Amino acid sequence: MIQHTEEIRAGWCVVAVRGRADAEAADELEEALKAALKQNSKVAADFSGLDYISSAGLRAVLQAARAAQTLEAEFAICRLSPSVKKVFDMSRLHQILRVHGELPC
Amino acid sequence: MLTMLEEIVLLAVDEKTGCLRSVREYATAYALVGAVFFDLALARKIDTDTETIEVIDTTPTGNATLDRVLSDMARRTHLKTVEAWIEQLFYGRDDIEGEALKSLIERGILRHQKSKLMWIIDVESYPMVNNKPQKFVADRLASAILGDEIPDTRDIMLVSIAAPCGLLSYVLVEDALERRRRRIDLLCHLETISRKVSAAIVSLDAARRNVIPRMI
Repeated sequence: MIQHTEEIRAGWCVVAVRGRADAEAADELEEALKAALKQNSKVAADFSGLDYISSAGLRAVLQAARAAQTLEAEFAICRLSPSVKKVFDMSRLHQILRVHGELPC
Repeated sequence: MLTMLEEIVLLAVDEKTGCLRSVREYATAYALVGAVFFDLALARKIDTDTETIEVIDTTPTGNATLDRVLSDMARRTHLKTVEAWIEQLFYGRDDIEGEALKSLIERGILRHQKSKLMWIIDVESYPMVNNKPQKFVADRLASAILGDEIPDTRDIMLVSIAAPCGLLSYVLVEDALERRRRRIDLLCHLETISRKVSAAIVSLDAARRNVIPRMI
């Protein structure tokens, strides 16, 4: 289960996500990120409150990143918790996504 | 839409002979077994993290192969890793292959042909009736590898199962594969379940190949 909020900061739409990004929450995560990307040219996903990500959750992030490419929007993943960072590192997501320690705004 | 399992079978079918190809013994068999996990993951029946695999929904998918595996996974809860399950499913590989071929015949994509080799040995083959689906799968694989965009989830999975099982050599020439080695490696790592399935196949295949010479 996840909770998410949106906030505009210095031209960026910051989507703050909390909870567990598992199969049950994957659709909600993908839709939240894609909806933000449709309405904003710069989207930062703040994952500091995300304490777990499964394969389905990771697929949701990847598909949001794919949508960002199609929409030619800037998309950054920021402030990963240690457990989620471990999954991102294993997946080498930093090679195709902008992954930051801090928010870009 | 075809299942991942059916798409892998199509990749393995030799368009000229109708026989199922394999670059080494069991390579295609492992690809078929791995594809079952991708179908279950795409249907949101299973999920994985860095350690375990779990059934999250036991509602049948309507596909006999997937439902049999799903019900088996729900029942045998002591098997918790992708590698353990791939090893388990490997023993039922002939059923998985047979059911996928039957489905492709029913869809009018392949046909079943029996012939004799040297007038004695029965040979079964599956000549292509409609080669468009095979071309569609091969084109998606080629685009995912040769392009720089983030591919669709199914195509990421397709690359990650085709690569360790040698099926990419049926789609792209060796030079192109060599040039895009880093891209292929990246796609194989992108997704947790893809990475787990691909690593399990490499490990089990290597173990099997190690054991056979020792037995001889």
